[in-house]
Amino acid sequence: MINNWVKPLTSLKLTVFCLGCAMILVFLGTLDQVNIGVYEAENRYFKSFFLYFTLPGTTLRLPWFPSGYLVGGLLLVNLIAAHLARFKFTWKKAGIMVLHSGVILLLLGQLFTSLFQVESQMRLDQGETKNYSLSYYHDELALIDTSGSDSDRVISIPDSQLYKGHKIVLPVDSLEVGIDEYFINSALLRPDQLPSSNNPHLQIGPMAVSVQTERTYKENERNMPTAAVSVWQSGRHVGSWNLAAGFPRPARFRVGEKSFQIVLRPKRFYKPFAIQLVQFSHDRYAGTDIPRNFSSRVRLVDSSRHEDRETLIYMNHPLRYQGLTFYQSGFENNDKTTILQVVQNPSWLIPYVSCALIAFGMLLQFGMHLISFIKRRVIS
Amino acid sequence: MKKWIPWLISLVLLTWVISRMLPQKPVTGFDVAGFGQLPVLVGGRVMPMDTLARISLSIMNHHGTFTVDGRTQPASRWLLDVLMMPRRADAAKVFEVTNPDILALFGQQDFSGKPISYSYNDCVAVLSEIGRQASSATQTEAQGRNAFQRGILKLRDALRIYLLLKNSIQAEDSPDFGRELQVFEQVLQPGMQAVRDREANRPFNQQDLLVVARFTQRYQTLTKARYVYALPNPDGKTDSDRWLHISDALLSAVATGKVAYPAILYGGLISTYRSDNVTGFNQILHGYNQYLQGTMPEQLSRAKVEYWFNQAQPFLQAMVLYVFVLLVSLISWLKWPRTLGKTAIILLGFAFVLHTLGLLIRMYLQGRPPVTNLYSSALFVGWGSVLLCLFLERFYKNGIGSVCGSTIGFVTLLIAHNLQLDGDSLEMLRAVLDTNVWLATHVVVVTLGYSSVGLAGLLGIIYILRGILTSSFGAATAASLSRMIYGVICFATLCSFVGTILGGIWADQSWGRFWGWDPKENGALLIVLWNAAILHARWGGLIRERGLAVMSVFGNIVVSLSWFGVNMLGVGLHSYGFMDQAFGTLMAFIAGQLVIMGLGLIPQRYWRGIRTRAAKVPGKPATASVPLTAT
Repeated sequence: MINNWVKPLTSLKLTVFCLGCAMILVFLGTLDQVNIGVYEAENRYFKSFFLYFTLPGTTLRLPWFPSGYLVGGLLLVNLIAAHLARFKFTWKKAGIMVLHSGVILLLLGQLFTSLFQVESQMRLDQGETKNYSLSYYHDELALIDTSGSDSDRVISIPDSQLYKGHKIVLPVDSLEVGIDEYFINSALLRPDQLPSSNNPHLQIGPMAVSVQTERTYKENERNMPTAAVSVWQSGRHVGSWNLAAGFPRPARFRVGEKSFQIVLRPKRFYKPFAIQLVQFSHDRYAGTDIPRNFSSRVRLVDSSRHEDRETLIYMNHPLRYQGLTFYQSGFENNDKTTILQVVQNPSWLIPYVSCALIAFGMLLQFGMHLISFIKRRVIS
Repeated sequence: MKKWIPWLISLVLLTWVISRMLPQKPVTGFDVAGFGQLPVLVGGRVMPMDTLARISLSIMNHHGTFTVDGRTQPASRWLLDVLMMPRRADAAKVFEVTNPDILALFGQQDFSGKPISYSYNDCVAVLSEIGRQASSATQTEAQGRNAFQRGILKLRDALRIYLLLKNSIQAEDSPDFGRELQVFEQVLQPGMQAVRDREANRPFNQQDLLVVARFTQRYQTLTKARYVYALPNPDGKTDSDRWLHISDALLSAVATGKVAYPAILYGGLISTYRSDNVTGFNQILHGYNQYLQGTMPEQLSRAKVEYWFNQAQPFLQAMVLYVFVLLVSLISWLKWPRTLGKTAIILLGFAFVLHTLGLLIRMYLQGRPPVTNLYSSALFVGWGSVLLCLFLERFYKNGIGSVCGSTIGFVTLLIAHNLQLDGDSLEMLRAVLDTNVWLATHVVVVTLGYSSVGLAGLLGIIYILRGILTSSFGAATAASLSRMIYGVICFATLCSFVGTILGGIWADQSWGRFWGWDPKENGALLIVLWNAAILHARWGGLIRERGLAVMSVFGNIVVSLSWFGVNMLGVGLHSYGFMDQAFGTLMAFIAGQLVIMGLGLIPQRYWRGIRTRAAKVPGKPATASVPLTAT
């Protein structure tokens, strides 16, 4: 009985089927990047179980093809099952075993990466110091309690919670935040630039309006949300504000003795240390604008570990510190601002190990094939 | 006696090929060759004038050669005119236009479909219209531009480069630049004296001051034409100081009081060239060579090697040889298998030597591993395949290796030749690529993966076509072809897998993620997946000989998409090899492969090769017209 269930899972047909599905998936996921960009394509095609399509005229989403997690998971099960059920260790098969254990590790590693990897960006002007980086894709509604004498307390509401009509109960002072309106993407205009008053828009201060715009998937553009929010305390209305991520100036209010700020801004990741940009350099090839090298000389200050040192981050040479890696990613503002990519990936070493295993396994297996083939040739 | 025939045939061909590579006899008159070897800095690298001429011409006419009245002239000759006698160059028909709508701008009504070449003089009347159309074309994103917009932008860029070239070593409006420099040098000292006097509130010579100020203003305007940095400055401290544009050299003369020696020499070259003074020109050129020999011998010799490389065109010669090998080995399947088979191997070996030589020279010139851009990847894919084919031929001795090697060698060099027309094939590398470790490992291994998948695909095609069309398809032939495909696919799997993973590690080092689903990464992954699928399908008994052949042909499609297709998407971090045309060619190629796969799926009882096999007397092994296995 169990055999009937396990057997199909160990079959090579399943392997080939999964590989075929993976190819279709990779192909479609690559083509669609033209429309929805790398980030969204990654989420839809690879970090999900199914591809969906929406029935025209309805909001019904139907799965029509297995996607990354399902295909990868099936492949993983297939591999493990096949090894457990069919393979007996022999020296002739040592290569295959080593190589497949590498593949298993690689698949697991990618799963961990997709679950635990956090990417963000740190923009630093010359001389500026920061202890946080910003998400490139996500925003947060931050409620900041500024009444503390030496530090602020920040409550961050992720953008997945921000949609029209949603009410969020906060864990402090019986506060509640209601989202009265939310534009995923918006553009700030002068009031007289508003194309028509029918356009969904929110007033941001006396000098600007925020107009709802189409969500963007372009690689070099970011969605800039705008929200109309109200704060309530125990059912009593405290205040209402229009907040735009493109103009992240906090609104201030008081509740009882405490003073608060509320702001819509790119999601922040705070670090237990700070980075200061000492000098950004951008070398070009003589007589051209072709970049030859970018580098950022930064100062790393970690008072809890008594570290205060300078280091150089440049192309292909990141700074690794406390489980975070800082890469030279870009620059702007006439070479005065550096953009560092900040990556937290606890499983970054796995691919290195698995790749060594796979390469070794393949060399062993194909090498043995080749030697026996040549031997046969020589004999004949 | 027959033993020496292959060697004799090869020797004759080799002599002919080598004679094409030797430097041509110097002609009397201006030493155009000597001029073509002069080093200049363009696009961040030092190249000979000859390369500059070829690159510029291919930007203008898309084939990089210069023809006058239907006869090809050295490209350097044209550049000599552009740099020194712009008025003559203005009449040369070097701007090639193919798009009918752009031709209409020139007033061309009846369009025969053949490209028409215009001179700069022809363009003058429509310059402002070209500029207007081009600037409105730039407002459309690169992806969405139509043929007219792409064409007009190319033409605008070509014209722009032409104008820059004309002002590279002189101000193009100067009636006699050599004389102008003499005057400049004469007025320099008194002029500077006047400046000093005025600053010290002493009486000063207004006239002297004015003259120097006018010169300074003139050369200040000339700085806008910085593109070719032709004047060596051996005392320069940084890379960007070691070569100067003429305007910078002359402006710095205002500070030092002395016009730099190379500028004087170029001035002399211009004057002698314009006055048709051959001896004077050649003498100055000789003097300049000695000056360079004394100050920057390394760059001079590199430029000379590149000049020779341009002239000898080892890749073109290898291409010609590959065609011969293909013909000879195809004929060998029909007639004189031993003699012609041997000839094919010798010639293939020699073509491979030339191919290797070309790659080595490029590596020397660039100081880099072999693959640095799309162009060089084509060279290397061919090289890797030919190497594999030489191995196959060594073991199987059935002519298949020669056929495959010569075909892939020829096709990849043809692709490379077309890619070369985009610009400088030895261009400097962008910051992220500036690492020889990864270029030498990841890129080389991945490219070898392309080579081997392509080779397996071609073997698959041979399997299918020989099986369907010819009677020479004995069981032994089929089996050995299939073994070849299997072996090559194993190699391909190893290379593409290891190469892809190495790429992941590089990405982890430079972008902070091992895998980012970037199109080029996905392309590489597709190749790995497909190879794995083939191997597992075979091990699982889902396919046999024929299935292996059909699947390996599909590998060609996967490789073509991964190699070129993703560059056409124009998204992602790897899109520095962007190409917007050639899409049609790619689609045609894919369609062709699909047709062949379709043929391969025809039931085998209709295959001619199989029917012939069945018709043979049972019990007797199938024989083919060629000895197909090693004995």
